[in-house]
Order: sequence, then structure tokens, then C-alpha cells
Amino acid sequence: MTRHNRILLSCVYWAFVAYVFVPLILMVLMGFKDSKFIGFPIRSYTTDWYTGVLQDTETLTAFGYSVAIAVLSTVISVLVGTWIAVLLEGRKFWGRAVILGMTILPALIPGIISAIAFRIYARLLGIETGMGAIVWSHAVHNVPFVVLVVMARLSTLPKSQIEAARDLGADPLIAFLRITFPYLVPAIMGASIFCLLLSFDDFVRSFFLGGYEPTLPVLIFAKLKSGMSPEINAIATVALVLTAVIGVWAERFTRRMNKD
Amino acid sequence: MTFPASAREERGATAARDRTFWGKLSGWAPYGAALRVATASPRRQFLILAICPVIWVLTQHLGPMVQMLRVSLTDAYPVAPGTPQHFTIEHYLAFFHDPLFWQPFFRTLSFAGVFTFCTLVLTYPVAYFLARHVRPKNRMLLLLLLLIPFWVGEIVRTYAIMILLGNTGAVNLVLKWIGLIDRPIPFMYTSFSMGVGIVYLTALYMLLPLYSALEKLPASLNEAAADLGAGAWTRFRRVTLPLTLEGISSGCTLVFLISTGFYATPVLLGGPSTTVFAETIAGFFHVAGDQWPTGAAFAIIMFLAALLVTAAFQKLMSSLRKGDSK
Repeated sequence: MTRHNRILLSCVYWAFVAYVFVPLILMVLMGFKDSKFIGFPIRSYTTDWYTGVLQDTETLTAFGYSVAIAVLSTVISVLVGTWIAVLLEGRKFWGRAVILGMTILPALIPGIISAIAFRIYARLLGIETGMGAIVWSHAVHNVPFVVLVVMARLSTLPKSQIEAARDLGADPLIAFLRITFPYLVPAIMGASIFCLLLSFDDFVRSFFLGGYEPTLPVLIFAKLKSGMSPEINAIATVALVLTAVIGVWAERFTRRMNKD
Repeated sequence: MTFPASAREERGATAARDRTFWGKLSGWAPYGAALRVATASPRRQFLILAICPVIWVLTQHLGPMVQMLRVSLTDAYPVAPGTPQHFTIEHYLAFFHDPLFWQPFFRTLSFAGVFTFCTLVLTYPVAYFLARHVRPKNRMLLLLLLLIPFWVGEIVRTYAIMILLGNTGAVNLVLKWIGLIDRPIPFMYTSFSMGVGIVYLTALYMLLPLYSALEKLPASLNEAAADLGAGAWTRFRRVTLPLTLEGISSGCTLVFLISTGFYATPVLLGGPSTTVFAETIAGFFHVAGDQWPTGAAFAIIMFLAALLVTAAFQKLMSSLRKGDSK
């Protein structure tokens, strides 16, 4: 009976693996199709779509734009998120629960509502739609993830190390910079990469806060609305490979850092 | 153990003579002065630590929602200079007047509910298999395998589903091959294609809470139940399921909230008969700014409704949990 279950469940697992992988594999394959028409079967293959995309300034600009936004917003999220985490972790004070709740809030608001709220707020603050507005919205949206990851790591910091540093004459700031911060580095690295990917993949905030220049997901969306073509597959595949490789590398990296 | 303050200062003076960067920094007079001012009392030290995060959270996290609420209650936004602004609830009332507004709203809520349930049914056996039937050594590997596709963005994965389900897509090709159909089934631009896409995008958010709930469950409980004569189905229903309700509850909450917020996926995978509320809301922001208050009001309605549904669901789940422990 148990063996039966086991076999059945492993079939379900592999079916699920197929469900998450097959659509992506098919999409990658379609980018090599030697025809403008999207659809199966694929009779002959070509790499023309890729060479075309790598020479297309529109795509390359969008790609660079997305990367710049991801990096800038991540720097802000990590700075602010780490600061909030240091304030909240292991400290009891009046209003802590409220601040924690508000910190998590951006992660819980459904995408479209968050995008609209940022759009309205950007006007209040006088931020023009475009790169600045996108960076700002991504930064705010990603702060909760940094806070959660850094708080988890901070809770495992041995308090005796800080006490030892203080006893040896370090002031609070130096104790933080030389003991706490190095201890947090793995968490901060992990959170940064998570933020980079979230920002790079984000569509809805970039779409509502963007100016005339599209980010990569917005560009793919715009192209899709005017019709499917293997060119889009080539662009999407480049984005896919990049994000998947960074994601897997980050996963391994943080795992190894946490083990040390 | 702490040394008396005088001992600390003495050591501080030794450190100041250090040639290292840190030694130079703590010996540098302006730094010392600033530090003395900042750490004059624990209260002041705390205030300096707390002020920036509190301001950020209030203005950046809460601010957009508060401003959206304010705009939703004004008669026109942005206001022309010189004209007075009036508070009104007409934008909220507009929602109930037109079926064009509330139909997508209820569609969104019911779709999100159905998709959440589908995600739960689909991922529970997967999480169960990973947590209970795989050796701990291989567990991480098999879990990581599932995480890879989830690093890929929303738009790219939506497009992948378009290719899978299109009239000349892979599913139709296979069905034709086996001889089940002559003409392609029009999967695309229906609630079905939208469901496949949204379940695809949210499955991970269900899988991870379920997995961690199942992993915490000691195997001995199941063995004890088996010793007492419970069959496989009874064991699942009376032991495993009640003890993973917490994971189910948090997974469903997360997936429900995320599902209500999708915009691009319904636009690309859905059709005219599956317009969701996100598209309705977005419509008010594509055109001239004078419709912003209505859009803001609708966004507030949507957010409150989603929160209400998840709160009610969590209440239900916690009462189920309590009822079971009795």
C-alpha cells in the first residue's frame, strides 16, 4: 500500500516538474524556428532570431534600462531594509508590532493595487514617470523581503560577540560595522539577488510608472500585444537564461555562506 | 560580563592609538564628539536608530495607500489651482451602479478562489511527496529543481503558456497526433487558459508553506495511527491534514492575494468574457487624469474585499484547527 502510494506520488511529482518546465522548454525551442509563424511542428531551425535580437538597439536599450533599475532599486532596498531589520530585531519597544506590520505591507498588496497606489503617490511627490519613479517603486516594494531575510539572520547572531567587542573598547557603531555587519553579509547578498531578480522581472509597477522608455518585460508585453513572433521568444529566452542562472547561483551561494 | 565604564574608556584609548583604520576612526576627534552626542543616553541612541526607519515606513509604505484613499474620496484629481476640492463618496457608489464594474469584481474574486483551490490540490501531493517520501539528502535537490522556473519573470512565463495552449500550440498538436481531435480546441482567451497561467505563476507560493508544514510533521504520528489500525485515507484525513492546516492557510492566503493582483496575465491569456477587475481599474489610469478618483476608489474596494476574504478564510481555518485539537 505504502509502496503504491510512493510510486503514485512520485508520478505526480514528475508530472508537476513537467508542468513547470515544458512550457519554458517549448518557448526556448520556438525561438529557433526558421519561420515567422509561431506554432508547432518546428520543421527547420535557425539562430537568426538571436543574432537579430543581439543587434537590435531597442531590445538592448531596454535590457540595459532594466539592469540599471534593478541595481539602483536594490541598493536602496538593501540599505533601508537592513536598517529597519536592525531596529526591529531583538528590541522591545512601544509600537514595534505596528512598525513591523507597516514594513511588511508592500509585500501583501496585490500587484495592480500597489502599482496604482505608487502611480498616485508619485504625482503627490512630484516624481515624473520614468526611470526614477520605477526605481523608487521597486525599492519600496522590495524592502519587506530584505527586512525578513536580514531579521532571520540577525536573530542567530551570538550576543556574546557584540558584548566582547564592546568590552574591548568598540563603540556601538564600530561594533556594528565590524561584528554585526560582516555576520549579516550572507543574508544581505541573498536578499540583494532576490531584489535584483524581483525588480528585473517586475511588470506591473514598471508598466504604470514607466515613461516612454520600456523596461524589458514591458517591451516584451508591448511586442506580444501586437502579435507573437520567434523574435519575442529569443528576447524572452535571453531574459530567462539570465534570471535562472543568477537565481540558481544565488541559491547555492547563500546555502554555502550559511553553512560556514 | 561587562567591565566598569572606566575600564572601557581605558581600552578605548588603547584602541585609539591603533594604526588600523578603525583605530584611527575612533581616535578622530569629530567622530568621537559626534558619537558622544549620539550616545549620550540610551533613549537618544534609540531615537537616532529609529527615526529614519519610522519616517520611511510611514511615508513610503503607508503613504501611497493613504494618498490613494484620499484621492478616492475627492471629486476631482488632480485639482486645478484655485478650485476648491470636495469630499465625496460618489466614486464608491459608481461601483454598484454599473454591472460593467461589479461583474469583473466578482469574477476576479471567484476566479482567484477557484485558482487558489486548484493550486492547493495540485501542489499538496507534490509537497507531500517531497517531505515524506524523499530522503533528506535528495530533498533539497528536488525542491531546487522546482524553484528554477520560478526565477523567471511573469511576462516570460505567461508567454510560455500562450505557446503551449495556442491553436497551433503543443497541446493541440499532441491531441491531434493521438487522433483525439481533428480541429484544434480553442484553449486560448478563456478562463481555462487564464487559470493555467495563474496557477503556473503562483504554484511556488503554495508549495513552500505546504512543504515546510509537512516537513515539521513527525513520521511517528503516522506510524502510531497505523498501529492503532487507521487506514491510509483515515491517517491522511485525521492526522496529516489537520496538522498541516496552518501551512494550507498561509499558502492559500498568499496565493489568493497574488491572484487578485495580476494584470498582464489576464490581459494576455484572457478574453473579453474574462475581464478581471485589475483591467477595469487600469482602464481609469490609461486615459486622462480626471478618472483617477474612480480608479483609486475601485482599487480600495478591491483591496478591502481581498483582505476580508482572506481574513474570513483564516478565521475559518483557525476554528477548524481549534475544533480538531479538542
